[in-house]
Amino acid sequence: MFSKDIQTQVDKLLSRYPIRQNALIPILHLAQNENEGWLTEEWMQHVADICEVPLTHVEGVVTFYTMFRIKPPGKYHLQVCTCVPCCLVGGTELLEHTEKKLAIHAGHTTTDGTFSIEEMECIGACSNAPAVIVNEDYHEQVTPEDMDKMIDELRQ
Amino acid sequence: MLEETLVLFKNIRNPEYDKSLAGYKKSGGFKSLKKVFGMKPEDVVQEVKESGIRGRGGAGFPTGLKWSFMAKDTGKPSYLVANADESEPGTCKDRELMLKDPHLFLEGLMIGSYAIGCHHAYVYVRGEYFPSIKTLNSAVDELYADGLLGPNPLGSGFQLDITIHTGAGAYICGEESALLDSLEGKRGHPRVKPPFPAVSGFNACPTSVNNVETLACMPFILSDGGAEAFKSFGPQNNSGTHLVSLSGHVNRPGVYELRMDVNMKDIIYDIGGGIRNGKKLKGVIPGGSSSPVMTADEVDVLYNFDDLAKKGTMMGSAAMMVFDEDTDVVKLLHRITRFYAHESCGQCTPCREGTHWSRQIVRDFLSGNGSDEKLKLLNRVGGNMMGTTLCALGDAAAMPIQSFVKKFPDEFRKYYAIA
Amino acid sequence: MPVFQIDGEPVEYEPGEKVLSAALRSGKMIPHYCYHPGMSVVATCRMCLVDVIDMGNGRPAPKLQTACSMDATEGMKVETLNQKVEEGRKLVNEFLLVNHPLDCPICDQSGECTLQDYAFEYGSGKSEMDYSKRVNGWRDIGTFVALERNRCIQCSRCDRFTREITGTNEFGMFNRGHELTVDTYADRPMTNKFQGNMADICPVGAITEKEFRFKRRVWKLKKNHSICTGCSTGCNITIEHDRNEVFRLKPVENQNVNKWWLCDEGRLTYRLMNERKMRIHQPLGRVDGSLAGISWEEAYSAIAERVSELAPEPQAVLALTDTQASNEELFLLQKLLKDVFAADNVFCPLPKWEQSESDFFINTLITSDKTPNRAGALALQIQGDEKNERLTKTIENDLKVVFVLGNPFAADLDVQQKIKQAQLVVHLGVFYNAWSEIADVVLPGQYYSEKVGTYTNKQQRVQSTEIAVQPLRRTRPEWQILAELSQRLGQKNSFENVPQVFTAIAGETAAFSGLNFEKIAGLGIELTKKIKDNGKKIVSVQT
Repeated sequence: MFSKDIQTQVDKLLSRYPIRQNALIPILHLAQNENEGWLTEEWMQHVADICEVPLTHVEGVVTFYTMFRIKPPGKYHLQVCTCVPCCLVGGTELLEHTEKKLAIHAGHTTTDGTFSIEEMECIGACSNAPAVIVNEDYHEQVTPEDMDKMIDELRQ
Repeated sequence: MLEETLVLFKNIRNPEYDKSLAGYKKSGGFKSLKKVFGMKPEDVVQEVKESGIRGRGGAGFPTGLKWSFMAKDTGKPSYLVANADESEPGTCKDRELMLKDPHLFLEGLMIGSYAIGCHHAYVYVRGEYFPSIKTLNSAVDELYADGLLGPNPLGSGFQLDITIHTGAGAYICGEESALLDSLEGKRGHPRVKPPFPAVSGFNACPTSVNNVETLACMPFILSDGGAEAFKSFGPQNNSGTHLVSLSGHVNRPGVYELRMDVNMKDIIYDIGGGIRNGKKLKGVIPGGSSSPVMTADEVDVLYNFDDLAKKGTMMGSAAMMVFDEDTDVVKLLHRITRFYAHESCGQCTPCREGTHWSRQIVRDFLSGNGSDEKLKLLNRVGGNMMGTTLCALGDAAAMPIQSFVKKFPDEFRKYYAIA
Repeated sequence: MPVFQIDGEPVEYEPGEKVLSAALRSGKMIPHYCYHPGMSVVATCRMCLVDVIDMGNGRPAPKLQTACSMDATEGMKVETLNQKVEEGRKLVNEFLLVNHPLDCPICDQSGECTLQDYAFEYGSGKSEMDYSKRVNGWRDIGTFVALERNRCIQCSRCDRFTREITGTNEFGMFNRGHELTVDTYADRPMTNKFQGNMADICPVGAITEKEFRFKRRVWKLKKNHSICTGCSTGCNITIEHDRNEVFRLKPVENQNVNKWWLCDEGRLTYRLMNERKMRIHQPLGRVDGSLAGISWEEAYSAIAERVSELAPEPQAVLALTDTQASNEELFLLQKLLKDVFAADNVFCPLPKWEQSESDFFINTLITSDKTPNRAGALALQIQGDEKNERLTKTIENDLKVVFVLGNPFAADLDVQQKIKQAQLVVHLGVFYNAWSEIADVVLPGQYYSEKVGTYTNKQQRVQSTEIAVQPLRRTRPEWQILAELSQRLGQKNSFENVPQVFTAIAGETAAFSGLNFEKIAGLGIELTKKIKDNGKKIVSVQT
């Protein structure tokens, strides 16, 4: 199921650990990236076979970690931190602003599938709060205006 | 103005610094590693013990002692795992190190690996740290290309591999045994102890789990006279410089490298430039969200492990979250209880039920349904998590609750139901 | 063995053993939910908190410790009853009740629920939890059990069961924190053959047996020790019944046989205990070609008359039995032929059977031999072979008198055809079957839940059953019928109960010599001289 390039990465990962199960989480990340940001049962079964673990084990792992998704996210996944340091300096307001701007609640995806919002626990950018991760990029000291600009640019 | 003491940030504070392998070597990198390869591993552990360094991840356990606990002659491989799952709210120091000077940390990891006889070290980086993961991976690639990793680094004959492992979003994986479960490819459930990781860790082999910052101190400690110098940076039993993550309502939030004999007040008012917008200080959460909160009157104290412990709180991961007079403490506590309810792994009873229940009670206050009874109940529910759970998350969730109730009772009264 | 102290009393422990395990073995109860001696220790329910006032080095433990994960050490002193411990248990139980529904009145576990027991003991009677509870709902998760997820206290015993005991991995832990669920993912049904055990080990009413749901309150059930006769493993069970109706079978721990477990197929055999339609309710005799009810006296007289009329030669007498019969029944059948007719033509079917070998012990519990006493028949030297060659030869004789016990050779129409031509066919059995159809006299026996008997399992371990329910009024246990028949046919014997018969077996046969009925009650005893079983075939089974 993995494309050829990614399969090479999977094989490399497997070679870095004493047993195949150890590579489960990194391989799930690759699988999720291959499948537009979320995991289907088919993919989970595939990864289970690769790592030689039961499917229920993979499902247990997937539902434990917040970064694994079993629903498709938007093309741009806005991860807004509202944890303690961010919430002290406007993270909560930033989230509310983003929700209003996109007219969806955190945990949801816009109908056109472009944006999804996730409310994050601490993402470790505390001294540059409030912070947002868009897909894989950190944006720090984000004001509501910055957010508007960013969303508008991404929409283009 | 109070100056930083630059050990870990020596390169980072240099605007000219090039974080590539060549740049790191040019600034004197890998000298300590070369020296270490000429020492006996037990002598390295001894040096680390003598430096007095205590783990920077939060618990403050002496690193040398931890390494000396590693089970020997087990016939199994030993592992060193760097804990880069930095997720304690307020903490953002390891990210700086990994992003801006990856080779310093990696050299420390290599020194540690040699000290405990580990031939394959893992770095468990939290999954959200995409930029750090990229930086570390390219740094490791550079090391392999240079021969510093692989069968014969620096001609030592000491086979050493490093793998960067990505987590996937779980605060509890910062707890060392949960981290090991996660590294093994499982749900991150803390393990029953004993056995401790030094006896049965990664894949049931002897393992030491050390924080990124702790490991990044190793090149300095193992340099000539390093251990002695390191010791001199703080009062007895609180050795070295450390990275303080300063956040919240200060004018200059940031990560600062400080000695351990600096007063907390100076960190807020001098380094941090005081409270923003000319407001007054209301309180500080001194060491990550799990540490007991301090009021404005209590901040005249040296910022280190022991002095904070004497004040009934803790330095934890040295993450100071400062809040001003306008802050709604109940809302703040609600955010903290929400965090622990979200991050509890759920396996053990007091934490699974207690984190959620306490969150419900605080939320009830926010809806204006508070009362003396509910405040007592909140305190009791928090207290019941203390010391009764399998790992320290129960304590971590309990300490803020109990300290907020104790130190800011009037704030809760604002949310009492009107009879 | 080394010793430590619990509440001032010495308790022995194996080196490396945990406090809770040693305590339970010595009969000392420490409340617990997640701990199960057959599975790994997770120490997550936190109920078994104890106060270690001396860790064996003169120092107390800094806080309450979980007894399940604490190594016992020499000189250790543990308190399980002091106020500190009581408070610890109170708070854990309070946390468990935060989300556990108080639906005891409609919960099947009520009465055998440890959460209920401890809530009674340590609960405050008043809840301070003012918010709505977690709602997860009911799930049909397998052929044998249902999952009421609201009642789950996340002890993870069921999860560990499918991982560590069956290796089938249907269960898992999903999500986390307050939302943690322990169940099958996305309502996928379970496939393992041992689901009933999950209802047994579930400390609350989350997993219940579908067969038993809403049938009877457990405190009404009376329990009798018995042996499952569903196959040759001989799992130790209790038969649980009320008003002469059996409701369920539960495993009894026997480390030598079934450990803690019982398969679902075995559990379902309780249905036969309540079966009435297929039972033979009273003695039957052939009158004008068809069977009609007669009295015991008439039945015995008819048999005695015919036998004396026929005065058969030894080779004209034959007995067939299945291996459902107990050791005593087989022995008395053999004795009847020997004493009355000087004959030794007693046959039983001995087909090949398979014993599973597996990394998971529980898989070895199910054998392909669905009878409980093949080894007993072999030990008593009942004749038979895999292809019934000797029997086929013997039935070529001109048969005059044939006794059939149970339902042997049920599928072998040739044998039945031949036997039908005998002058007198007597069928002793519990259920009406093809043998009853061709018999001249039918004598109604009793099912194993209604009588005492000993059975020799595949390990050649002799184990006994108790009377659980009242037999049908006009039936008699087969051992008694055989003893009475023997008397009516001119023999003297004084067997009044099963122990007396067993004593005779021990005295007269080499295989059973040295065994004593009193001693095999309970956990059973293995034959000292092992019998060779040529029909056994080992097959490897994975999950």
